[in-house]
Amino acid sequence: MSVLDGFHLPDLEPADVERWRTLDRDGVIVRTPILRPGVLSRMIAGLRAARAEALETRSAQEIAAVIDRTTELMLEPPTIGPVLDALPPVTGCSAPMARLVVEHMAEEWRRPALERLLDAELAGGRALDAFVERPGRRAPSLAVGPKLSFHLFSGNVPGVAVTSMVRALLVRSAVLGKTASGEPLLAPLFARTLARVDPAMARCIAVLYWPGGEDAMEKTALDEADVIIVYGSGETVRDIRRRAPDRSRIIEHGPRFSIGLVAREMLADPDTAGRVADAAATATALFDQQGCVSPHMIWVEGDPDAADRFARLLADALDRLSVTLPRGRIDAGSAAAVREIRTAAEFRAIGGEDVEVFPGPNAGTGWTVIREATAGFRPSPLFRTITVLPVERLEDAAPRIAPWGANLQTVAVAASRERVAGLAPGLARAGAMRVTDFERMPWPPADGHHDGSGALTELVRWVDLD
Amino acid sequence: MLPLKDRLKALFASVDGPRDEAQFETLALEAFAWQYERNSAYAAYCARRGTTPATVSHWTSIPVVPTAAFKETELVAGERASADAVFRTSGTTRGRGRRGVHVVPDVSLYHASLLPNFRAMVLPDGLRMAMLCLLPSPDAMPESSLAHMFGVVVHRLGARGSGFFASVQDGLDIPALDAALTACVRNEEPVCLLGTSLSFVHWLDALHAVQRTHRLPTGSRLVDTGGFKGKARTIAEEELRARYAHALGLDAAHCVNEYGMTEMCSQFYDAGLRERTLRGESGPAKKHVPPGARSRVVDPETLEPVRPGEIGLLQHFDLANLGSVLAIQTEDLGVQVGDGFRLLGRAPGATPRGCSIAMDALLSAAAERRS
Repeated sequence: MSVLDGFHLPDLEPADVERWRTLDRDGVIVRTPILRPGVLSRMIAGLRAARAEALETRSAQEIAAVIDRTTELMLEPPTIGPVLDALPPVTGCSAPMARLVVEHMAEEWRRPALERLLDAELAGGRALDAFVERPGRRAPSLAVGPKLSFHLFSGNVPGVAVTSMVRALLVRSAVLGKTASGEPLLAPLFARTLARVDPAMARCIAVLYWPGGEDAMEKTALDEADVIIVYGSGETVRDIRRRAPDRSRIIEHGPRFSIGLVAREMLADPDTAGRVADAAATATALFDQQGCVSPHMIWVEGDPDAADRFARLLADALDRLSVTLPRGRIDAGSAAAVREIRTAAEFRAIGGEDVEVFPGPNAGTGWTVIREATAGFRPSPLFRTITVLPVERLEDAAPRIAPWGANLQTVAVAASRERVAGLAPGLARAGAMRVTDFERMPWPPADGHHDGSGALTELVRWVDLD
Repeated sequence: MLPLKDRLKALFASVDGPRDEAQFETLALEAFAWQYERNSAYAAYCARRGTTPATVSHWTSIPVVPTAAFKETELVAGERASADAVFRTSGTTRGRGRRGVHVVPDVSLYHASLLPNFRAMVLPDGLRMAMLCLLPSPDAMPESSLAHMFGVVVHRLGARGSGFFASVQDGLDIPALDAALTACVRNEEPVCLLGTSLSFVHWLDALHAVQRTHRLPTGSRLVDTGGFKGKARTIAEEELRARYAHALGLDAAHCVNEYGMTEMCSQFYDAGLRERTLRGESGPAKKHVPPGARSRVVDPETLEPVRPGEIGLLQHFDLANLGSVLAIQTEDLGVQVGDGFRLLGRAPGATPRGCSIAMDALLSAAAERRS
């Protein structure tokens, strides 16, 4: 049995801890302290003081170098190993999934990605230090980051919490992070590793868990933060919006879904069609479909036969992935929801409707492809459950998605370059935040816009000198 | 040999005898074959799984149908046109608004299961009393299986003064209920109250608002059913029991929770009142499984039985469902307790369902109209 710390609190004294909260998942115990009243306020003051000392005085490039070195150290087997072992029981994902996701996410915390991001948004970081000329603007501008950002993480994709912290550090913000019970490990690990590389900078981070909505703690955090960054369900986001002080800046990463489109020309050649199906299956399987970039539905251009052929390829690919990238744990409600959507489709097929269900192996809910002949958008119960349906022309897909556009994230399009270029404006207007292909779908580039805004610029305040 | 239906009715009536596993097995396999022959949608569902009556040698191998199926198709084993009753679920599902339909070709089989079970579990002392229902009458709610059931209980088991104390238009008729209870108290005649948990909550709230309580005569009892909104079931149940004691003077043993569903003709009741009446103590909290049914607790992912004591999804095999599908996969969580189970409520994240939601909406809407 192993005990892991699900927190990073600089200056934590034994007397600060009222008692320990433990999360026990299959023999892995994650402990977090329950703080006595007043301790969080003291720690927040400490974060602000540490920030003035360790972040205010450094350039974004210097901070990026520290983050890069921290990531390098964190990925060394003795450091990452215990957490990689603990992620499957704690988060429910499979071991190969944990490894793959951490590997990919960590790319975003390395110097090349951080520099691309700084170049794209903050003139290589110089905009944080001086008024700089920006393309198309007459007055030079200076970017001022928040002194303290409060991050409410969600547990659906391991590592997103670290990305969020890293971006805040780059704009010289101290970080107060509330982990999700679903993934309480990587953010504290990053902070602890940072303490080995740069103890002063690590004192700018506090990461802790408490049950969402716990009033005293959350009120302190919401009242003190200059910027609040919330990841989670619509309910969580609404709740934070309601309880945050009026002056707060809230950056919301609420619930989103993604979809895919496959053009007629991609299905003509079996090799190409197979490659598209493989990539679409991987995009569906990654994060066990819990990501906002995970597809819920795929429209296939052509007649129902074309959709059926693609559905079969997709089902085969998902079946192969169930071995190489196994699905993780599923909760009872979700398993019931997967069965419900399968049952509904199956009885419609029995009733004579043109519907086909490819239900993975055995009785399990491991993966499901449902091929419809006609249907509107339907959210998936996730855990690798995807609907494929035909559309006469890909151009017809955008208007069908538009009613749900407010929650749309990525649209993956498998089509020729010219057609993608032609389709993209319509998809953008229908609500898409990003148009890409299936290969890149699960991994948005670090220097791209995040939910429609700049990943760093959404954190800062631009000051013009005119 | 007697026809299948008659043998089923005899099994349902055997509430006081030992559980006859061999008899259940025989009748379950016969009932499955009956359904396979007459319910074409279900037969197609079985065929897709390579299952036919010839391949099934034990009742646990009968293909289970998720309750969601009742929303997609009419699963009838028999003549739809001449069906005695058609019940619909309240349809509060993930925004899709589809309501489950349960066609009951022959209500005599339904009643043959309902009545002996109700007598055994709610009236184990054999008392006859007024049945006061906090629900509109079955005439007013012809598609509600719960209203139908209460109607049968009132008609067949209720003493003088039984009736329905709510309407679809106006919700609960609190003054009339109050008058009926006052009369029972005055005459020292025990009474049985029946309703959804939420209808009781509405009523208790109204009593609380005017600081009114009742001391129901000795032997009085109540039957509540259905889910709770937004609260853990165990906590909500305990709180409600405390309110029953305070407002009505009923102890926990005389409050019997019923667990039933539109898609099933048999019901499961708390075993406590019967145990206490027959054996002097209530025993562990559990739902009793009637002679014509079997329940299993299965792993949500594999649908195989979990180890004893583990939480899983409830699966029911109900021979009173001869006219539709007898093997039902629910989205309700439970844990096995002896030869019964404890209901832990709906699996979180799954579709909310229940007559009490509809009733609640009805009552709230009525209250809004009045204010």
